[in-house]
Amino acid sequence: MGLKILLVDDEQEFVETLSERLQMRDMDTHAVFDGKTALAQVQSHPPQVLIIDLKMPGMDGIQVLQQVKQTHPFIQVIVLTGHGSEKDRKTCMDLGAYAYFQKPVDIDQLNTAIRQSHEKTLTDPRDSMGFGRPVDKGFYQP
Amino acid sequence: MSPNNDPCPETDRLADMADVKFFGALAAAMTHDMKNVLAIINENAGLLGDLSVKAQKKATPIDPLKASTISEKIRKNVTRADTMMKRFNRFSHSMDHAEEFVDMEETVMLVASLSERIIRRHGGTLTVIPPPVPCRIHARRFVVLHLIFRALDILCCNHADPASDIQKQMTVRFGSELTRPEICFTRDPGFMIKRDVLFDSPKDRALLAHVKMKVKMMDAGAGFCLCTARPEHG
Repeated sequence: MGLKILLVDDEQEFVETLSERLQMRDMDTHAVFDGKTALAQVQSHPPQVLIIDLKMPGMDGIQVLQQVKQTHPFIQVIVLTGHGSEKDRKTCMDLGAYAYFQKPVDIDQLNTAIRQSHEKTLTDPRDSMGFGRPVDKGFYQP
Repeated sequence: MSPNNDPCPETDRLADMADVKFFGALAAAMTHDMKNVLAIINENAGLLGDLSVKAQKKATPIDPLKASTISEKIRKNVTRADTMMKRFNRFSHSMDHAEEFVDMEETVMLVASLSERIIRRHGGTLTVIPPPVPCRIHARRFVVLHLIFRALDILCCNHADPASDIQKQMTVRFGSELTRPEICFTRDPGFMIKRDVLFDSPKDRALLAHVKMKVKMMDAGAGFCLCTARPEHG
């Protein structure tokens, strides 16, 4: 079973193609197109890594990042956006994002970041404090 | 420089600042859209590459239908990027002339397409009803574009929670008098616009003064119209 990845982006064509490419790299991906659906998905099927756009209609990526980090601190969040603001990058990193990439992204760099972020989760000392731990299928439970 | 030596009146300076901000807002939205299109092209080109590698490893050909679908997506997005660049190019050239006759329908359509992302992000949808008679004013094209952007901004964003799920239906209509250009902006039925948010800032007033237009509130705050203070002829 590959890493569970949830992709969130309102550019449907982009996120579906990226999802297909990550599947070819042995990842178990699911794509949604808005922040609200992403949060529902995180509650029902928590991923190990969340890849999220920032500027979306309705709830934006920063709000999603904030909420996910509050409820599921062990989900690693990678921001992938077309928005080039340094302020947003800093905000995301301060909120606990693992990495911040600008579109278009190099798939090898993204692949590496996904795997490294997951390794970080596995070695995070907070895991022994009960914030969350891996279960059989590789999911994390808050 | 002391105020007495300042060659630029305060209203002009405020209008200039607002113009730069406006240009930045549209440039940011447009480049964001462009990055998204490039990202789609990048992923589709990458997918084609991934499929080639897989086909080589397994010594099986790429599904021709799949390859053709990917190729079509790339072609479609190159066209999309080209359209965006043409619009942005038109927008950039709007500063070329001091004053000229500006077609208002064309201007509204250009602003609407350039700010589509901003409107969509605020949950808005825009309908532009074509004018019954040509609607033109004599002004600097760039300033007119700015004025229309401000009108849409007031209509779309000033009363809204960007995170709200409620869709904001917005409509732009044009007046029927050839000699008295008028553009009306309305929101969903039941929505009320407060008078005090309508072009109330010094920057907005400078903008209106520059194009010699005034704001007219519609009955019950259903919207507002921009109309020229004096007749214009093409």
